[in-house]
Amino acid sequence: MANATHSAVAPAPAIGVGPTARRLLRGLEVLVALAVVVALWQAASVAVGNSTLLPSPLRVLHAWIDLLHADLREDILASLLHLGLGYALGVAVGLLLAAVSTRFAVLEAIIDPLVELLRPISAIAWIPLAILMFGISAKVPVFLIFYASVFPIFVNTVAGVKQVDPRLVHAAEMLGASSRMILTHVVMPAALPYVLAGARLSLGVAWMAMVAAELTGSDAGLGWRLFWYQEFFAMDKVMAVILTIGVLGYLFDTLLRALQARITRWSPDSAVDETR
Amino acid sequence: MTSRRAFLPLAFFTVAILVWQTAVVHYGQRATYPYPMGVVDAAVRTIEDGSLVASTSNSLLRVLIGFAIGAACGIPLGVLMGFVRPIGRAVSPIVDSLRSIAPIAWIPMALLWLGIRGNAALFIVTYAAFFPFVLNAAQGARLIDRNLVNAARALGASRALVVRSVVLPSALPAILTGARVSMAFAWGSIIAAELAMGIKVTSGGSGAVGLGQLMVSTLYVRRDVNGLVLYMIVIGIISLCIDLAMRRLQRSLTPWRT
Repeated sequence: MANATHSAVAPAPAIGVGPTARRLLRGLEVLVALAVVVALWQAASVAVGNSTLLPSPLRVLHAWIDLLHADLREDILASLLHLGLGYALGVAVGLLLAAVSTRFAVLEAIIDPLVELLRPISAIAWIPLAILMFGISAKVPVFLIFYASVFPIFVNTVAGVKQVDPRLVHAAEMLGASSRMILTHVVMPAALPYVLAGARLSLGVAWMAMVAAELTGSDAGLGWRLFWYQEFFAMDKVMAVILTIGVLGYLFDTLLRALQARITRWSPDSAVDETR
Repeated sequence: MTSRRAFLPLAFFTVAILVWQTAVVHYGQRATYPYPMGVVDAAVRTIEDGSLVASTSNSLLRVLIGFAIGAACGIPLGVLMGFVRPIGRAVSPIVDSLRSIAPIAWIPMALLWLGIRGNAALFIVTYAAFFPFVLNAAQGARLIDRNLVNAARALGASRALVVRSVVLPSALPAILTGARVSMAFAWGSIIAAELAMGIKVTSGGSGAVGLGQLMVSTLYVRRDVNGLVLYMIVIGIISLCIDLAMRRLQRSLTPWRT
């Protein structure tokens, strides 16, 4: 209840509660929430009474520690390799397409409808065709990650370049800036928040595509490992891998968010809605 | 100018499709590469034997059920999180960390818990649909004008009335945005879940076969490339339709927002 009163005056420094104390309080809230979840999980697994059907938190923790010394490192490495390759390729191609299509109207007339045609076909829908083209191999997740990450970065970059205030461009022109200078000193900084927002969205969908592709069409990686352990009915290990996927996904998003906030400190978060 | 803008891509794609068709037929690669007429043939064939319509409606039904469950659980939780700040602060790290788990990663557990008859896929879809609702409802409820709430309270409205006639209407636009994201995400996830089930569980067509399972059997049993491309196009068309329908719903329910 003390919390409720102090949150009502959130913007101003609360009376009697310093910033450190408040941070501690917030940390405590998170800890309590986590403890509640773990307790519920434990209670559920006791109620189920079958460690295969619902392994207890402690068992999963043990399995996780075991795996960290064994397979899990390889899986994480394999997944990161898929993600790194596919994502780098996707971002590079997305940026390139965006650059070309904002520069030349003729190419925009072709690239834009092509993107609008392909974008509704989710990366997932490509999985069978990718398996047919590449066989069960690392190429399937790399291709899918590439495909998934191209569109958000492309759409956001184009939107970012289009929203640049023409008055700024005109002002720079009038002051004698060359077109190259306008690109590097006006357009690119103005579009940067959009590009970074696109990069973050891309990584989010890429992560999902990676798990799905590894589950179905790969012979390595975290997603592949899920079914591997399922075949031995080692559900504690399956849960450990699921949690690893969650933790890594969360870390990546937090990392990119921090990067975004740092690089574009002057700009409010300007993510373009991911579905448009 | 506008006619030229429409003409150029149209001409480009017509030529591209013609070249594609003649190249595949000319080099005699009809078995290994998809080609336009083959896709049309596959469409005619699967519509005639009913497998396309049946599996698509199975998948769509699961998406709708998952979407409804996601909304029924996600909206109340989100509104609670946004409206009662301490709860929001305590729960949001948990929601964030669960959200980071790709829904499809739950498939081994879902198969164990719910079996292969389609309920596992339903679990994945519900999981996918749930989080956009929570996040957007929380956001909507957080941004409510506190003066409106205080005015209603001062005029003697009960807590329940405030929630029903102030909080929910002001959070509605955000909730609808959540619904749009959630529907798109659910549609992607159902295909992923059905693909994974089709590949890993060779159960000889038990349960209601969805579009994903149909794709797997097209890939491994019939090895029909044109069929695969057809299903991809169907998936794309359906996600376009879903997006359009959700936008229309948004416009008609919240006409004050442009």
